Amino acid sequence: MEQTAAPKPSSLPVITPLPVSSPSRRPFYQLLLRDKRATAGLILLVLIVVATIFAPLISPYDPQSQKYDILQPPSTTHLLGTDDLGRDLFTRILYGARISLFVGIVTVALSLVIGVVMGILSGYYGGWIDTILMRYIDLQWAFPNFIIAVYLVAVFGTGLLNVIVAVSLAFLDDFARVTRGMVLTLREEEYVLAARSLGASDLQIMLRHVLPNALAPIIVLATISVSYAILAEATLSFLGLGVKPTTPTWGLIVSDSRSFFSRAWWLGVFPGLAIMLTVLSINFLGDALRDILDVRN
Amino acid sequence: MQRYIARRVLQAVIVIWAVGTLVFFMLRAVPGDPIQALLADVDPGSADAIRAKLGLDQPVHVQYLFWLRNTVQGDLGQSLYGSHVSVNRIILEAVPRTLSLATLAFVISFALGLAAGVVSAVKKYSLIDHILTFAAFIGISVPGFWLGIILILVFSVGLKWLPAIGYEPLSEGIWPWLSHLILPALAAGLPFSAAIARITRSAMLEVLQQEYIMVARSKGLKERKIILRHALRNALIPVVTVMGISLALLFSGAVVVENVFAIKGLGRVLIQGIINRDYPVVEGSILLVAVFLVFTNLAVDVVYTMIDPRIDYES
Amino acid sequence: MLKLACLATALALCLSAPVLAQDLTIAIKASVDAADPHQLYSPNRNVQLQVYEPLLYQDQYLKPQPWLATSWEAVEPKVWLIHLREGVKFANGQPFTADDVVFTYNRSKDPAQSIHSANLVNVLDVVKVDDLTVTLILERPQASLLVKTLERASGRAMTIVNSRAIESMGLEQYGLTPVGTGPFMVTDHQLGQSLTLERFPNYYDPERPMLDRVTIIPIPEPEPLAAAIETGDIHLIGGNAPAAELIDRFLSNPDLVVSEVTGPGFQAMFINPWREPFLVPDFNKPFEELVQENGFKVRLAIAKAFNREDFIQRALFGRGIPAFGTVNPAMGFFFDTAINETSEQRYDLEAARQLLADAGYPNGEGFPTLKLLTTPAGRREGEIIVNMYQENLGITLELDLKDFTVLTEDSNAMNYDLMRLGSGGDYDPDDALVDWMVTTSRFNGLTRDTSVMPFGFFSDARVDELSAQQATEVDLEARKALVQEANKITSDKVAAVFTHHPTDILVYRTEVNYPDVSRIPGLVDLDRVTIS
Repeated sequence: MEQTAAPKPSSLPVITPLPVSSPSRRPFYQLLLRDKRATAGLILLVLIVVATIFAPLISPYDPQSQKYDILQPPSTTHLLGTDDLGRDLFTRILYGARISLFVGIVTVALSLVIGVVMGILSGYYGGWIDTILMRYIDLQWAFPNFIIAVYLVAVFGTGLLNVIVAVSLAFLDDFARVTRGMVLTLREEEYVLAARSLGASDLQIMLRHVLPNALAPIIVLATISVSYAILAEATLSFLGLGVKPTTPTWGLIVSDSRSFFSRAWWLGVFPGLAIMLTVLSINFLGDALRDILDVRN
Repeated sequence: MQRYIARRVLQAVIVIWAVGTLVFFMLRAVPGDPIQALLADVDPGSADAIRAKLGLDQPVHVQYLFWLRNTVQGDLGQSLYGSHVSVNRIILEAVPRTLSLATLAFVISFALGLAAGVVSAVKKYSLIDHILTFAAFIGISVPGFWLGIILILVFSVGLKWLPAIGYEPLSEGIWPWLSHLILPALAAGLPFSAAIARITRSAMLEVLQQEYIMVARSKGLKERKIILRHALRNALIPVVTVMGISLALLFSGAVVVENVFAIKGLGRVLIQGIINRDYPVVEGSILLVAVFLVFTNLAVDVVYTMIDPRIDYES
Repeated sequence: MLKLACLATALALCLSAPVLAQDLTIAIKASVDAADPHQLYSPNRNVQLQVYEPLLYQDQYLKPQPWLATSWEAVEPKVWLIHLREGVKFANGQPFTADDVVFTYNRSKDPAQSIHSANLVNVLDVVKVDDLTVTLILERPQASLLVKTLERASGRAMTIVNSRAIESMGLEQYGLTPVGTGPFMVTDHQLGQSLTLERFPNYYDPERPMLDRVTIIPIPEPEPLAAAIETGDIHLIGGNAPAAELIDRFLSNPDLVVSEVTGPGFQAMFINPWREPFLVPDFNKPFEELVQENGFKVRLAIAKAFNREDFIQRALFGRGIPAFGTVNPAMGFFFDTAINETSEQRYDLEAARQLLADAGYPNGEGFPTLKLLTTPAGRREGEIIVNMYQENLGITLELDLKDFTVLTEDSNAMNYDLMRLGSGGDYDPDDALVDWMVTTSRFNGLTRDTSVMPFGFFSDARVDELSAQQATEVDLEARKALVQEANKITSDKVAAVFTHHPTDILVYRTEVNYPDVSRIPGLVDLDRVTIS
């Protein structure tokens, strides 16, 4: 007997209902450290953050100083080379980490929290809540964030706030939609129905059963979005809509290197590497988090 | 279901109207006067004449009503710059270019992404998983223009296989059209294939651990069938969501790629319009994109129900 | 003589060489949106130049030469008689006559139909005398008439358009596929993407053009532009100079020719005289008096601390020459090179620091943080300037990036501390003085609050006087003296820090033959170009 193409409720195998609460006996950080990739990710991230905070101590150069020879390849005096205005690249990447990391993490965190809440409410309750929330999401999705950025800059001037608001809004609908999609499926699961029949409140069901199982794609989305957030900030800065022009950010450094690619490969490669390493570490952590939260494991 | 679709269509129209209205007023609230910029090269005394000709001397709400009436009739107005080419025409010429680029990029990103994600999940922690994961990380960390320039340097300047820039319409022939689109589609599509690979992998991993998969396995069904028929299908919910999202993001990623490869698509039209404060061009482009996105979203919701028939919007 | 030799050589090449498809592809920076000369501004000139023709043109020595007008004379100081060329046809076959000149004039003068009507403010009427003769009646004698109003680059007002085509095609289509008397016709226009020109077979000069086809493509990004010309996808980069960082790369490439000439424009950093700490409420004093005021001292300090050589090297990789005024080298013999040594705003760091200290800010202490207004495209240059002032004077500047539309608003309202702005396509001293340095100049704070600011960024009675005089002075030597005196005054009194005159750079592949006679700064003429 072959299973039919579309799994119909009647042909679904019985899934063992999950225990209503399953607190892990081991403390969280121990679980985290058991996973090798998570450990690597954590170490990497800590290194990056430390480097960011102690940037002035690590590098003797001033990130704005233009007095060095231009377009020098990596050497012993300039670890990652210099750019077209004679600035030390390593220093700029170090200082740039502050804003890029901040933007990357804060915007995604904001989007995630708001978006997930919207998604759960929307998917779980359905009805008019779903309609209103999802139509708002539609509206925001169809509305180009670029204009919002222009508007924010016009009202508040350039700065970190604009970037955070504009970029958070950009990712909000993704989180809302993915969450909603997952919740739509999950709310029909038998363990949810079972829990409800046992008298669990909506809030309990949403938090204990639905959310943990919906988290996997959300986490992946979050880790991917960090990278996009950093790059989005670059686009905004490039168009004059980002943070104050004096501060270097990774995305901006990459963007400025556009006309020098053939002459100075290091200008495009190293900031890109920095972004990649950050994203990698966050991603590993995210993977591990998902594994831990995956209570079926 | 039909009632649901009808309701959604009505809501879609309302959302599109809301987007258009918001854009209309926001544009005029933002500093930057297109006429003054136009006159930077020209006679300040003709400011009033030009404003009158373009209808910009009316109070804002009057302009809005005109705009509403014209838009409903399909007339998106005229560009404020140059020979005041009709916005319909500007968009009509730009859309096929972006559509070609985005579609090709979409196909590439999906084919590659899904395949990579499935393989990665099935062979979790193997060498191929590590390689694909690594490639995916590179994919999502590099900006589109970076990839585009590298592709040009390698394939156009270095190997001389493909043209570096430009666009040829389909009427010029399949190969001219395709050869100009391959590099930009790769530049736009590869970063997304990386994202799709990650999400697919994660979703597949979830599903592969489900009990019904183990049940199917224990029944002796072929592994490939299990993966493709059952696992992938159930993993598709988040993937389909991403499909819907990625179309929109592809569009905005296309802007950067369009710039690098000198393709005048809708993305560039829009950005240039915003920079120039060319109101009708911006309004028209955004409306078109909004229509596209909102109805795509509706399609995604309908596809959800096809994948998982337990989902019922009516309850 | 030179022209004839060039033509002969070109002809010989054509006859002797194997027949190669004479298809040229050129790249420009900005989109070609439309080519109606009365509607377009700046970057689209390249299409206009090949398709339309003016009555006169400036040669590479900046002397007016006949084109659609064969000869001209001032029968009175305010009345010119112009004889038109015989046998000229429009691309749609219709003959060119005096009626077309009159039509063009009337259309161009109407602010509702043309954005260049200001260029004709001094022309009262154009009257047809017979099919090949017109009279031009001026309000005042105008020195720049031949080189500005009737010419094609800065004038543009009298680029001859075809009335019947406008009527039958409608305004929109006419802008997309224009009809002119020029050596090329537009045969295909993919909006924003590419424009195809083909040889006009009934051009009045049977020996021109030599090219069969020209395709114009806008390429905004520098690396792909370089890649395209290196692979031969395009043959020529013209219009606006390519990004300065690419020039060295092109120079070292044996397949490419880089032609660099002085350019028709200037760039400056304007200083708002209505803001502290450089407040100067009145420029109408002799220099010696002005320099006693603290506000003026600060202005002069800022000007003297600007190292032009260094800036040009860093920002433009050497592609530019130092500027000390709005009169640029493309204005030929009006350009004053002596001013480099005599201007009060020439680089002198010691003096700058001394002035700043005298004004009360030794080593920049206590100096407020000022904003430098520029467009996002000008960010890199802005960063260089910010750094320069930090090092040279110890003062802090903050970059204020705004889109061009917003910058224009702020500029007109005098809403800035320091602002980067410049001009291009200026071939006549009127462009330099009348447009910029006179109290009533169109760029001089047009929308400012006049109750608070009696003038914009500069006002000097003597300059106003000189400018008015030179505009009507027909004797070249006398005009030159007036222009240079005005230029010196503006340079000294520091209406702005003039940074540089950008050079005009044309890059093309070696197989392209671009004759010297076509090499006019800022313009790309393709009627004598061939490919070998």
